[in-house]
Amino acid sequence: MSYDTIKSIIVALALLVALGIFVRYAWQRLWVYLRRGQTSPKFSDWGERIKGLIVFVGAQWRLFRFRLPGIAHFFIFWGFLLLSLTILQAIAEGLMAFANPQFVLPVIGTWGPLAFVQDFFALFVVIAIGYGLYLRLIVNPERYKGSHRNQGVKVLTFILTIMLSLLVMNGLRINLNEDLLGRYRPISTLIGGLFVGLPEATQSIIEELCYWIHLGVVMLFLTELPQGKHFHIVTSIPNVLLRNLEPRGRLPVTKTSDGAAGVSKMEDFRWRTMLDLYTCTECGRCQDVCPAYNSSGLLSPKLLVMNLRRNLQERGAALSAKQTNGVLSKSLTGEIVGEEALWNCTTCYACDQECPLFIEHINPIVEMRRYLVLEGKMDKMLQDALANLGRYGNSLGQSDRMRAKWTQGLQPAVKDARREPVEYLWFVGDYASYSPTLTDVTRKTAEVFSKAGLNFGILFDAERNSGNDVRRAGEEGLFEMLMGKNMQALGKCKYETIVTTDPHTYNTLKNEYAWDGNRPRILHYTELLDQLVASGQLKFSKKLAAKVTYHDPCYLGRYNGVYDAPRRLLRAAGCEVVEMPRHGDRAFCCGAGGGRIWMEEKPGHARPAEIRIREAAALTGVQSFVVACPKDVTMFKDAVKTTGNESRLQVQDLIEFVQEAI
Amino acid sequence: MKIAVPIKFVPDLVEELNIDSSGAALDTSWLRLIINEFDDHAIEQAILLKERGGAEVTIICAEGDGVDDILFNAAAKGADQLVKLMGSDAAMMNSHATARVLADFFKEIQPDLILTGVQAHNDLDGSVGALLAEYLGMPYVGYVAGVTAASGSVIARKEYPGGIIGEMEVKLPAVLGIQAAEQPPRYVAYSKINQVSKTVKIEERAISDLDSSGGATVGRMFKPEPAQRAEIIEGSPEEVADRMVGIFKELGVM
Ligand code: SF4
Ligand code: SF4
Repeated sequence: MSYDTIKSIIVALALLVALGIFVRYAWQRLWVYLRRGQTSPKFSDWGERIKGLIVFVGAQWRLFRFRLPGIAHFFIFWGFLLLSLTILQAIAEGLMAFANPQFVLPVIGTWGPLAFVQDFFALFVVIAIGYGLYLRLIVNPERYKGSHRNQGVKVLTFILTIMLSLLVMNGLRINLNEDLLGRYRPISTLIGGLFVGLPEATQSIIEELCYWIHLGVVMLFLTELPQGKHFHIVTSIPNVLLRNLEPRGRLPVTKTSDGAAGVSKMEDFRWRTMLDLYTCTECGRCQDVCPAYNSSGLLSPKLLVMNLRRNLQERGAALSAKQTNGVLSKSLTGEIVGEEALWNCTTCYACDQECPLFIEHINPIVEMRRYLVLEGKMDKMLQDALANLGRYGNSLGQSDRMRAKWTQGLQPAVKDARREPVEYLWFVGDYASYSPTLTDVTRKTAEVFSKAGLNFGILFDAERNSGNDVRRAGEEGLFEMLMGKNMQALGKCKYETIVTTDPHTYNTLKNEYAWDGNRPRILHYTELLDQLVASGQLKFSKKLAAKVTYHDPCYLGRYNGVYDAPRRLLRAAGCEVVEMPRHGDRAFCCGAGGGRIWMEEKPGHARPAEIRIREAAALTGVQSFVVACPKDVTMFKDAVKTTGNESRLQVQDLIEFVQEAI
Repeated sequence: MKIAVPIKFVPDLVEELNIDSSGAALDTSWLRLIINEFDDHAIEQAILLKERGGAEVTIICAEGDGVDDILFNAAAKGADQLVKLMGSDAAMMNSHATARVLADFFKEIQPDLILTGVQAHNDLDGSVGALLAEYLGMPYVGYVAGVTAASGSVIARKEYPGGIIGEMEVKLPAVLGIQAAEQPPRYVAYSKINQVSKTVKIEERAISDLDSSGGATVGRMFKPEPAQRAEIIEGSPEEVADRMVGIFKELGVM
């Protein structure tokens, strides 16, 4: 048997084995295990989905939020795509060697411009991999903590070897005049130049060696691919294609068929969530921006996904093997994911927004919380707050009849929207209505509305907590009850627009309430006032010469994209707005969301609000920390005290500036 | 073990309390009722006993606003039977009348253990538990903060001032006045209550004539009235003490 025939046989066998392993794992993971999950809602809107594929996979859009690593990945990704064609050529060449050792695939192996681009990309990939290795081995940033470093390094080394062997092989072929497209490969030519002095026979042996290294590592990589984080190479395309297209502020509903809500074991998750788990690249971007991770450290969205993935694997294998105990008896909420971790999420959306592959964290967290709530496993303070919300419609445990007490003595009196038609129905919210430190701000808001000549009214004691955070704390039934009561009260009123004080209220009214296609216009007060200033209905008589910084509330900014209106308002009132390093969609959460405001803070950790205040205190000349959410006022006033910045920074609601400037 | 937990509703102190025109009772038009906090603990303790050693738990409450919700809430926690006492004055019963009605009922169903809140803030004529024990001829222990089942008896745990803890064995059947369950009453998710309310039945039981004798009669009910004369005594401790002795003498208490 000739060498070429043996070559063909070996390549064929290697390919068979590698593909066999790949298919076996991929089939097990993507078919057997995923099918155990719950059904996912139907996917529609394919135009939008394909557009996303182009933007987020093709252009790698989200990756650039971490500039250099993003660029490096861009080249690796495109290099991978372009060079997978040369891999095809290498395989075909081997398979056909017995018939024609010089076999080339049409186009792939004959089109010069393609060869040119590939040649350069091979170099780019080498550089990018070098950067990747540098990041992992030398810089080792915090975001990689907990990721499988060795696996990452191993695969980087694989790719590096595949590229280098390709370049050397091509270079030598050019030297040996075996490459028809040699003139299209300047990089390979350069590298080939290093070997020019060697005898042709030696060059030929090295070239053949490089072929085997190239092919061998490709095969190894193929077997490695479905077994770890690099499976994302396969799953990221369906994952981005089948991403959640609902508004950010709309939590998926739980399955309520038998009253069993939430997720208590892996198979209760939807298969779509499971696909998310397989897609995680362990890049740690989510962890890097997570306020829970950066304060108490009790929760890392990345580790959450990784732990779930491991459980999916282990349970999957155990179920397939018909085991009955071992990993199957481990509790999902408690042993796989700590209860404390689940309760630490503020639902700030930073992680979901950051993930390049649209992996969702909040959704599974809330699903698991739903189960914990059903089991009554929660913090005592949260339990009391939920009980209060159920009984009185507010978390503070005050009488619902006192909800509008803050209006007493206001001139002109605040209208009762239940009695007379109004243009603007103002949904005031719990904290703004009851909290003694906030009612003053609420009265100022009423004053501003009056001065702007708005025809507005409120629901008085018919208003209930909107339920945004109740829902995110996992108490779906209570959320439905609160929504039902509010909808009933709203249904009896005549109004055109709903204005809210609280971004959380704004979010759920806008994105989650069952309006049945008749959603009224819903505005946050900053949006409304901004519009009034633009139309000239609201005029400022004073220019305040304050230097301030503005904190974007998660539920106004990241969730609903309102970034500019509050800033324009502040500027219109004469303020100079200085940005904190993390602002806009990168704003760092105050720590109150998702029901956290009702839970106990573990002592001994920096709290998110304190971290945020320190960030603001570092800005020179800024005296005011401006917020547009009543919860923020509570959180940050406290944080200013605990960080000793009382004399340095003043926490103020945006409305106070508007009121002063009128 | 059969456990019965009679509970009652009391005015919710979150609301402002007003006195009606008779001047001897609360104005019911503004009143909102809530489960007596101690009874809530009694339910929790009963459920804990059930979870630990098995028991059949019956909750009994007089009819009124929001009672069904609380009963379903208890069923969602694990109570087996729900009983509502029906009668026009059911919600207005004093402790004596309540205890008599309950005693009749318990003679029928023969529970092994009766757990009830040790007190309620509107008890004017003693607590129901002690009266009930008397009418049923059972032993009674009040201010209990933890119960463990033993054979034919229970161990009741009481906390005394100064951090002293007492444990006593009580022969069954018995009545215990619960001050606190071993853990705070658990939260029950709305979806669970909704589900239970569709499947669990509340048994209604008519109350025949009420016997309130032995109870107290309210002469006058009023809000705290600020004292007319208050004197701030100033000076050194000796001067203050002298002045106080003087006052006590003037009042004839010394
Ligand atoms: S939503 Fe915010 S707090 Fe929750 S895991 Fe994501 S980044 Fe962390
Ligand atoms: S979930 Fe997304 S952002 Fe987080 S580590 Fe995985 S891939 Fe990276």
